[in-house]
Amino acid sequence: MVSMNLADLFIMAVVYTNMVNPNITREYVSYFVFFAPGLTITALFAAAFMIGREINMEVRREISHYMLSLPIKRLELALGRVLAGGFRGVIYMAPLLATTLGITYIYTSASPNPLQLLTIITTLSLLSIGTSGLSIALALSTTSFEKYITARGVVYYVLFFCSTVFYPMGLIQSALPQLTLIAQYNPLSCGADLSRAFLLGNPPFDPLMLVDVALFALIFASIATLAYMKVTQK
Amino acid sequence: MISLRRVWTVAERDIRMFLRYKFLLIMRAIWFIAQIALFGLIVNSMFRTDVQNAVGGSYFNYYAAGIIVTMLYSTAVFIGYDIYEEADHGVIEYLLSVPVSRKELVLGRSIGGGLRSFLYVGPMMLFVLYLIGVSSVLQLLAALLSLFLFTFGVSGFSITLAVSIKSSDRFDILMGVTDALIVRLSTTLYPIAYMPQYYAGIALINPLTFAADLFRWGAGIESAAITPPLLAAFGIVAFFSMFTFLGIFLHERRLEGGGWQ
Repeated sequence: MVSMNLADLFIMAVVYTNMVNPNITREYVSYFVFFAPGLTITALFAAAFMIGREINMEVRREISHYMLSLPIKRLELALGRVLAGGFRGVIYMAPLLATTLGITYIYTSASPNPLQLLTIITTLSLLSIGTSGLSIALALSTTSFEKYITARGVVYYVLFFCSTVFYPMGLIQSALPQLTLIAQYNPLSCGADLSRAFLLGNPPFDPLMLVDVALFALIFASIATLAYMKVTQK
Repeated sequence: MISLRRVWTVAERDIRMFLRYKFLLIMRAIWFIAQIALFGLIVNSMFRTDVQNAVGGSYFNYYAAGIIVTMLYSTAVFIGYDIYEEADHGVIEYLLSVPVSRKELVLGRSIGGGLRSFLYVGPMMLFVLYLIGVSSVLQLLAALLSLFLFTFGVSGFSITLAVSIKSSDRFDILMGVTDALIVRLSTTLYPIAYMPQYYAGIALINPLTFAADLFRWGAGIESAAITPPLLAAFGIVAFFSMFTFLGIFLHERRLEGGGWQ
């Protein structure tokens, strides 16, 4: 996964930089610099999403029965799983965020102040928790591994390609305007754009980005917790 | 003496096994649709006019053809994972006991691995050819023949690595790294002309470059940015020969004796 992420940044983004219309990425120095914060999101999302696969397997093999025998309340167990998935994403994301900070500093000579950095980390942590919740909710919606894999594929690609992780919003609006609304409220877009706002100064910071990600985390962490409690009681 | 009937029996078994991986096939199909319908369309409008001209008029067509070759590669390497699955369940010992020589076994597996990849990617390839539009049937047939050899070569490559390493974890990591680099350091996603020199050197000798450019030539994409077809075909034949030979050589020597992790 690390090699895939780094190859995306240091090979794909480098080559795309030589091909992209400079008018599209002018506000972001270059495509390479534009994509760097997006890389953090791809890494975080992939790592936080992994917990769903494990939970789907546990439910199919009834390992959840063993979990119930542990001296932990069901609410604590369910919430713990959601948070654990989120923390995995944060741990995996940390070195890539450091890489992004390094890249943006080299190209723009600007670095975020402590409050901005804290806001970025908080937002990305919330995004990671929301992703973990989404993944668990999806994993618990079916006991069929094939169906889970299919649903995961659809969610994964729709969320990624209908977001500003790989391309700026203006481009989505002009190329596929039907996707604008999804891309605008997509938590991955909000996470990527919030990071860009503080690291590159563009797009401008909007508190709604943080609210969007917080709502995403709250909704999916709650759904996943309730679904996990319900499934383990069966 | 190699019996073609026995080689085909081995290949047929691998094709049947592959069709059982429904979830994998569905995932790849979703990935293909998302890559073409979302990423491909949006990225197409991101590039400069000179880039569009250099890739034959439309980056979307160039990209769609490259995605097909990426899919051929990723489904053909799956044979290596099958070998580990078999080692895990003790099927390798069973295969060694059947009246098929080691050479027939590895040849059958390479052909089966290549054919199943072609069978799976076939409908998507037809769709992409429909989008691009074929200008010369003869050219296309020549390109498809080379792509057949390419998929056999990739299967041989995967078998070679699997039987050399004999550790599923190491194989998984190596394939992950190889996959990340081999696709990005090729012309499947972008032409060599826009790569920095240090990447272009690798892309020039990458079998995925040969396969992708040959498929584009077969589909009639007129572009100066693609590798000359004769050179690409030669590269694919060399790749196929090398890894089929290595696969047979290593398979014969390393398959027995256990040691699978």
